[in-house]
Order: sequence, then structure tokens, then C-alpha cells
Amino acid sequence: MRGVAPALVFFGAAGLAPLVVRDAFLLDSLVLILIWGASAAAWNVAGGYAGQISLGHSAFFGLGAYATALLATRWGLSPWLGLTVGAAVAMAIGLVIGYLSNRLRGPYFVLATIAFSQVLLIAGSRWRGFTAGSEGIPVPFRPGFWTLGIADKRIWVWIVLALAVLVWLAQLYLDRSRRGYQLVAVREDEDAALSLGVPARRLKVAAICASAALTAVCGALWAQYIGFVDPFYVFSVDLSIRFALAAIIGGLGTAFGPFLGAALITTVETSLRAHFGGIGAGLVGIYLVVYGCALIVMMRFVPQGLVGWIDDRLRRRAVARAEP
Amino acid sequence: MSLLSVAGVSKRFGGIVANRAISFDLAPGELVGIIGPNGAGKSTLFEIITGFYRPDEGEVLLDGARLTGLSPDVVCRRGVARTFQKLRPFPGLTVLDNVVIGALTRTHDVRHARARASDLVRRVGLADKAGAHARTLSTGQRKRLELARALATEPRVLLLDEVTGGVDQRAIPELVRLVRDLHAGGLTLLVIEHNMQVITAVAQRIVALHLGEVIADGAPDAVARDRRVVEAYLGQAYAR
Repeated sequence: MRGVAPALVFFGAAGLAPLVVRDAFLLDSLVLILIWGASAAAWNVAGGYAGQISLGHSAFFGLGAYATALLATRWGLSPWLGLTVGAAVAMAIGLVIGYLSNRLRGPYFVLATIAFSQVLLIAGSRWRGFTAGSEGIPVPFRPGFWTLGIADKRIWVWIVLALAVLVWLAQLYLDRSRRGYQLVAVREDEDAALSLGVPARRLKVAAICASAALTAVCGALWAQYIGFVDPFYVFSVDLSIRFALAAIIGGLGTAFGPFLGAALITTVETSLRAHFGGIGAGLVGIYLVVYGCALIVMMRFVPQGLVGWIDDRLRRRAVARAEP
Repeated sequence: MSLLSVAGVSKRFGGIVANRAISFDLAPGELVGIIGPNGAGKSTLFEIITGFYRPDEGEVLLDGARLTGLSPDVVCRRGVARTFQKLRPFPGLTVLDNVVIGALTRTHDVRHARARASDLVRRVGLADKAGAHARTLSTGQRKRLELARALATEPRVLLLDEVTGGVDQRAIPELVRLVRDLHAGGLTLLVIEHNMQVITAVAQRIVALHLGEVIADGAPDAVARDRRVVEAYLGQAYAR
């Protein structure tokens, strides 16, 4: 699973799906799986590879979402521009959080990242004159590729697939390059890495900035796809946890893990919601309970994540076969 | 002509003086030992030389250029590598990858770094462990791993903090041989060592610290017999 093949099969299947699948619900699920996968993978760049566990990545996601929505509603600008601005602002904030990562470690860093997203949540929900406050803002639908006004879900699959592949390639770079090796060294033991000539601080900041920018791009495309930005959703801790969980369940610091985790979480969540959700069912929110239990079971029995677990299985089977 | 010089270095932690006006030089190719009882300030001095601590006074020079004030990674790239007293291998990485990290400081090419790393892993006698995770190694093997990793950064001066500390008696001769080989190859070494037998056997010169100060600096047997050194280690009763 650490190899490139499983990811290529996954992306290949996702790319071909729109040619055969016509069902809007399935296509919608696929778009969401790819967006959450890309977001989790973007989180993984900082959280998995650099070991900077953040529970405030919704800050970046929300910035991307707000940047496209606001630029489009206030000035009629293209979401592509909004996406770029969102990524740039997220990077700037990533610099600040990166700086903090060199001051605060472990739980203190986590708390600082949560605080960041909460500050943005307050700004987003209270600054009525600019952000429309807690009502949120609808993203205007203007048909065309330049304005990303696309009704056809099949095209959306391809757009978010391109994003997913981009983030995956970024991780692949970290798997194979000098900087990637050095980043992992920083995660394993920062002082030891420093003593071996690794510019630990700079690398951490760079990883957090890249992670922030990619997350913002995910947020921008998500906003454009969904068509509505609600501050209480896009800046929520829930959303940050979703990114982290998908990466942790799939396999921290592995390129394909976040996509696997996101596919699993999104599928389970959607089906649980479909089965237990409905207002009449009287079990509203039960899916969260099942979700939580599944997570505890996961952490107890597969702490290394799915990718690591599957690899272990395959290796064991290979060994068993080699011994007659 | 000295390669590394420690010039009047002092370091205080609150009211405790860990290093007081320490000065000494390392000539190119020299192997100097640092001895002293616990709390003498040996490790603090290492932290200062490698940029992890900033001295309150004094400075450290490599080939005449100031190292003091540079961050540890820059100090390493300038050519000063170290091992840690409390060993710190990257536990989740394989032995080979641990050494690759060091090699990548001198090359941008991962394949080249892997080749160099695997040479070094062989050289320190860990070839059969190359694919094992560092956390599975014994203390002696970890010491050798740290040595390989530090060497991979191609240092001009190598600082070893307790080569034989905590190591199985039987593993000591092998480690001593490694250090000797490195020295014979022209490397300049500064070695903290508690085992007097080991240090007097390998060092050309010994600097003795006590309560943060240099109390002796000279040939190993002279330092070992030095009245103040014996006092520092065993107390006054023995220094007769």
C-alpha cells in the first residue's frame, strides 16, 4: 500500500467513474470523497510528515472557501482568483503557525491551532458588514469554467480529482526527496535532526505553509461545489478533526493513507446518516456515536493506520507462503 | 594552528555555574579526551560547541571563524558533528535511513546518500541491521549508529559524548577500535569518556573539568596522576 500502484488504481477508477456512473448521489459522494481525501492529504503534509499535529486546519479550509465566495460576491471576481488569494492568505497564516510550532510543542501547539480557527470563526460570524456574518454567504453560480459555474457533477469529479492528484504528488515528493527525508527526521527527533545539519525550523514552517495553501485550495473548490459558505461549518473544530482523522485512520505520513481514510469515513458517515439520520427516525446524531465507537476500535486494533495494517498483512502472508 | 578553539566559555544556569572560563584548543588531527566527574560541565560544553546552548561569555571558533551564535544545523554544516550522551536515534526509521539523513546534509541526491550511508553502516559493523528499525537496536548498536550518522555529515571535528557509557563490557574494544580508526584516518576528535582506561589509551591529550573549570590539560598519564584530578574524582583522602 505504500507503493504507487494502489493510489493509481484509486485515482484511475475515480477518473473513469463519471464515464459509466450516471447516478447523481454516487457522483456527489465521489466528489466529496476526493475533496475530503485531498484535504486530509494536505493536513498530512504538516500533521503526518512533519509531525505538527494541528486541529485548526479548518482555518485554512475556511479561508479558501471565504476567499472565493467573497471575491465573487463582492467584486465579481473569478473563483480561480479567489482560490489563489485564499491560498496566499492561508500561507501567510501558515507562517505564523509555523513560527508557533517552533515555540510550542505537543498539546500546546494543538491548542494554538484550535485557537486560530476559532478566532477566524468569530471573525467570520460577527463581521457582518463584510462576511455576511453567521448567515453565511451563498456562492454565486455563474455558468462557465472560468467562473467554475458547473452543474455537471461528472466534470466536478475530474476537477477535484486533479486537486487530489496534486496533493498526492506533493506527498510523493516528500516520500522520495531529500527534503522529505529531512522532514521525517524532524518529526522523529528535532534535536537529533538539527545536530545532523537539518534546518528543522525552516522545514517545519515550509511544510505548514504548503499544507495551509493546499488546504485552502480544497476549501475554495468545496465552496464552489457546494455553493454556500457557513462560518460555523468551515471554521469548525469538527472539520479540522475530520481531516486529522482521515489521515490517522488511513495512515499518518503515508501518501495514500489520507485518501483511503477519507473514502472510508465519508462512505460510513453517508450511509449511517442515510440509515439513521432522517428526522422521523428519532435517532438524529446516532451516526456520530457509531462513528466515535468505530474510531475507538480503530485506535485500539489498528493504531498504525490502514495502510500500515494492510502492508503488515501482505508481508505476513508473503512470509507464510515462502515457508512451505 | 588550531582547528577548534574554545575561548573563555562560561555558562550559568541560574545560580549554578556549569562552565567557567573554559579555554582549550584542538589541533587538526588531534584526539582530545574530556574527563570529569558528574556535573563537571562536560555535556554543557558540548551543547555550547554544537550551538544548542549559547554561552554567557566567550566563544567557539572553527578554523578561526565564530561558531557561537549559529544554530546547531549550521554548526553541523560548517563541519562539527556530535553524538548524544542520551542516545537519540530516529526510532521509527531504519538504521540505513538514520544514516541517510546525515548523508543528505552533504548531497542533494538521495541515491548517492543511500550509497554513502550503506558504506558507513558497513563500516561501523551494522550491515546486517541496515533494514531494522533503530528502536530495535541494543545500546552498543545505537552508539555505533549514532557514530555512523554523525560521520555521514562529513565532519571536520567529531564530538563523541560517552562512547562506552552504558555499553556491554564485551562491546567496548570494538567501539575503541572504531574511534582509533577514525583518528588514524585523520579526523579530529573531542571525546567525553568516563572509562579512564579507554580514554588514556586513545587520547593524545586530556582536558579535565571539575565544577565547570579546567583543572588539568595535558598528556593522558600526566593528567591521570594530577593531584587535583585525583582529588576531584576520589576526594582529598586519596590524593597523597
